[in-house]
Amino acid sequence: MATIITMPAVVADATEAAIQQWLVSVGDTIAAGQPIAEIETEKATVELEAEAQGTVGRLLIEPGTSVEVGEPIAVLVEPGEDESSIDRQIAAASGATESESQQPVPSDTEAPTLTDTGEAPAAGPSTSPRERVFSTPIARKLAKDAGVDVTALNGSGPQGRILRRDVELALSHPAGTVPTTLPADSPAPAEPSAGTKGEAVPLAGSNFEDLPLSGMRRAIARRLTESKTTVPHFYVSIDVSMDALLALRRQINDGFESTGLKVTVNDLVLKALGGALTDTPAANATWQGDSIRRYSSVDVSVAIATDDGLLTPVIRGLDRLSISALVQTMTDYKERASTGRIRQQELEGGAFSLTNLGMYGTKEFSAILNPPQAGILAVGAAEQRPVVRDGELAVATVMTCTLSADHRVIDGSVGAQLLSSLKRRIETPLSLLL
Amino acid sequence: MSTDTPLTYSTTCVELRTSSDDWDAADPALLEAMLVQMTTVRVFEEIVLQLAGEGLVHGPAHSSIGQEGSAVGSVLALRGSDGVNGTHRGHHQFLAKGLTFLRPEGMKVAEGIKDEQVLEFLHRTMTEILGLKSGFSGGRGGSMHLQWLKAGALGTNAIVGGGVPLAAGNAWAQRHDAQTGSGTNGMDVTVTYFGDGASNIGSTLETFNLAAAWDLPLCFFIENNLYAVSTHVSDVTGEPRLGARGPGFGIKSWRVDGMDPLAVYLAQQAAVQHMRSGKGPTLIEAETYRYFHQNGPFPGSAFGYRSKEEEKQWRDRDPLDKVAVEMIQRGLLTGEQREDLQSRITEMITGIVDGITEKDPESSKGARRIRPALWPDTLTVDDGVRAEPVTAGPFLDDGAQTATTTRRFVDAIADVLGRRMATDPGVVILGEDVHRLKGGTNGATRGLKDSYPDRVLGTPISENAFAGLGGGLAMTGRYKPIVEFMYSDFLWVAADQVFNQIAKARHMFGGQSGMPVVLRSKVAMGAGYGSQHSMDPAGIFATSPGWRIVAPSTPRDYIGLMNTALDLQDPVLVLEHVDLYGEKGEIPEDDLDYRLPLGQASIRRAGKGVTVLSYLNMVDMALLAAEQRADLDAEVIDLRWLDRASLDWDTIEESIQKTNNVLIIEQGARGTSYGAWLADEIQRRFFDYLDQPIQRVTGREASPSISKVLEAAANASLDDVLAGFDEVARNLGHS
Repeated sequence: MATIITMPAVVADATEAAIQQWLVSVGDTIAAGQPIAEIETEKATVELEAEAQGTVGRLLIEPGTSVEVGEPIAVLVEPGEDESSIDRQIAAASGATESESQQPVPSDTEAPTLTDTGEAPAAGPSTSPRERVFSTPIARKLAKDAGVDVTALNGSGPQGRILRRDVELALSHPAGTVPTTLPADSPAPAEPSAGTKGEAVPLAGSNFEDLPLSGMRRAIARRLTESKTTVPHFYVSIDVSMDALLALRRQINDGFESTGLKVTVNDLVLKALGGALTDTPAANATWQGDSIRRYSSVDVSVAIATDDGLLTPVIRGLDRLSISALVQTMTDYKERASTGRIRQQELEGGAFSLTNLGMYGTKEFSAILNPPQAGILAVGAAEQRPVVRDGELAVATVMTCTLSADHRVIDGSVGAQLLSSLKRRIETPLSLLL
Repeated sequence: MSTDTPLTYSTTCVELRTSSDDWDAADPALLEAMLVQMTTVRVFEEIVLQLAGEGLVHGPAHSSIGQEGSAVGSVLALRGSDGVNGTHRGHHQFLAKGLTFLRPEGMKVAEGIKDEQVLEFLHRTMTEILGLKSGFSGGRGGSMHLQWLKAGALGTNAIVGGGVPLAAGNAWAQRHDAQTGSGTNGMDVTVTYFGDGASNIGSTLETFNLAAAWDLPLCFFIENNLYAVSTHVSDVTGEPRLGARGPGFGIKSWRVDGMDPLAVYLAQQAAVQHMRSGKGPTLIEAETYRYFHQNGPFPGSAFGYRSKEEEKQWRDRDPLDKVAVEMIQRGLLTGEQREDLQSRITEMITGIVDGITEKDPESSKGARRIRPALWPDTLTVDDGVRAEPVTAGPFLDDGAQTATTTRRFVDAIADVLGRRMATDPGVVILGEDVHRLKGGTNGATRGLKDSYPDRVLGTPISENAFAGLGGGLAMTGRYKPIVEFMYSDFLWVAADQVFNQIAKARHMFGGQSGMPVVLRSKVAMGAGYGSQHSMDPAGIFATSPGWRIVAPSTPRDYIGLMNTALDLQDPVLVLEHVDLYGEKGEIPEDDLDYRLPLGQASIRRAGKGVTVLSYLNMVDMALLAAEQRADLDAEVIDLRWLDRASLDWDTIEESIQKTNNVLIIEQGARGTSYGAWLADEIQRRFFDYLDQPIQRVTGREASPSISKVLEAAANASLDDVLAGFDEVARNLGHS
């Protein structure tokens, strides 16, 4: 019997995701566990693996299209099955939804809205009946005319009501790049021009090209704008002598030679930061709106630059992690980040961030907080600088670390204590191995 | 020590009784006509009651059996061009007027009703009573609304006293026709028939006063049959001699025995002479008796409010018998001839009914039914609510480039009213103080009394009477009254005439006449006149089919819309807001004849974000708010025409399809809101185009108070309008 594959919930509370690319074609025979599609969410691109073997009978979603979680996206068939059995299976799936919707509901519950085909809306995961999706008449009409399931869109009106502009936005961004919510004050979107259909189209005679935004780019733009404009940042810098740490690193790498692992300065700074956060629990905290949450475990997000933008996978239990385990994790993250294979759950959580531009020779910089995190440490290059020791001019390898902190959570003295602890741990690095 | 000197009325009430001499002197042809007409009425009504008993008359059948003498005696003293109207009990008057119109030379006992025209008349009357398409009003009016304008039967009325002001309108037209020489043969007169019940209602008493004030040739004919349904006249009035009321109003009055047709005739003859000579209204009280209950085939005694003895005493004085006896005594008739007459008439009317009915195939008891083919086509149910629009002048496009001059709004009103009075001798202006104060309370009729003294009428404070008089004028087809309500709230005072009469007449009577009443109504919100003078009546009028509603917001629009309104054959409410009177605007230079097309709104600000619908003074406020909320890109539409039939649905639809959002802005209280009706229409017509609930700005719940701050709080202000825009924004997901 044909099998329906539905859009998985990539993130726990995600309502939709986009097929970025199909990795299989109709007619392909696939094995269980074989990646069949790349799914793009706001934060990550993940591979969808087949749960069972079969032959791809039909792909229901065009690449670039965003669909609701639980929507059928493909059908697998067994040998001998034809198009009509696929149709039957799809019809049966919607029939199951109907019978589900006919189950008794409390009398004050609205009946499910009909979709534009007059059928009950496709259900999400069968364990949780879909709530009614509000949409305005014109939004339903436009969506129907365009062949779009209006209930799959996000509504920007009161109570999440789907408005005309939500449909128009969806129609003008067919590549599944619709941001999940519109900024509150954004004006109604302009009519899409010919050049905004998902490809970079240089205009004839112009000296620029407009690059369409990926979902990740949109997420970065939105989150950082929100952070920089709503979170009260303050900054504390400290110079750290790196000579002892660099010496230790050489020793470690010599010891690691047979394993092929290679510890970086960043790994050690990360480990030092883990220790500093343990020393300064007040800094290992996030802003919760009406409370401040302190963490018993030290989870730090590490910024990894990719061609598309920044990814921030989380190193968990940093305070308990051995150097070798840390190096292994970081190496894996960097590899997968470069190919967009970071898993969604690896991006979640983290009370603090570390970002390092030292490899570019940057002396120092200040980073923007990633809410609800209250701190991010920006690390520059370790470089030889003149220093004064005991009244004498000397040369030392020095690195400047700049803490950006949310003043609602971290006071200046706490920030200073954190950096002081960091400096001590880096300058006496053997503690990092404990 | 004070002294009492008895005062005498300026006119008299006399009781007229006939003597044997009068009968001797009576023209035998008159008596013959009386007998034939009364017998026709009696037989006709007996057959109607028979049909009612068979369930073939839908609704009540109010018989006048017993009262034939008063109607026939009265109508025989009239001529064809005289008008009559009456009440729900009006078969006898209608039949008498029609028969007299068809046979002004009289009717012969030998011929009876064997006359093609007479039979056709009886057929159309019977089918109207039965609600059939061949009736005078296509079955719309039935028993209680009988109209045959050609014969001077202006229409009977189911509202007690409701027809009396309308009759005054007809009488005013007759008087003016005579005075301006357009009438031939001296002044025609109007007789309005009503009963003892209607003698106590305001519209009747208001019209007593109005008719006397203006010397109208109007006879108030009271058929005092003693009972208003079951209530005896002496139970409900301190002076049961109803004729006595006339002198109090300066109306010459007669009291006669209604069971004596000759006495009625003589009284009516004297009254007509009085009226034709221009001496003003008259009143005749005819004491009479209906043999049956209010309606249906049972006597009143069956319902216990009167005795069989009383009924027998009156039946013993039967008017048909009275004439027959007097004729037999004088050798003008034999008993056999009378019986023969009655049987021939019965046979003829029975023949009419046989042509209308057939054996009911579904009845096992041999019952009759109406022949199915005779019913009106149900698709015509709303036909005739309004007349076909007509226009008598050039249209001016909204974008037209013309030389202009600056004019105050209120002056533009006086300008265009004056222009129309100059070009159309049928235009008559009436209202309280319109003839004084340099153009009424606001100057809108400035200078008109001087130029047209006979057609600018300062009325008594009796809105029901003068609104109805306007309606009666309009129904003549010769006059176009422009009635002014000094404050819109007075519509409630005049509600019967405005809504039951003027609004319904055309449709109810099957479109026999137009109803070109223009009602200028002042909206005085903000003027501090308090709870009873501050309403916007648009929402109320919008519920009333027949009325068109015009709401001009600029002097230029006022001129064009008033001209269009005056071209129409429908009643048109023209709203005027006090805030606008003093406003200046550009009007076309030297042109007071242009029309603005019926049903055309004006897009005062183009936009794509939200359709803002407003009218009158609120248009400018909507424009102001739209500029302050330029981010919402509002399209502001000045509706100009507000009623269901005239509203510019095309412009509204086009705008809503573009914007998908609607905000209706009005100033007045919620209860009588116009926007409520409009919002309902819009959501049903354009539901699929809406991107949010239809938003509305109105005043508060209560009527505005006198206190300046409370009044301002009660009316919708600029802040309220801006709050409406905010709500639109919120529903668009903006902040």
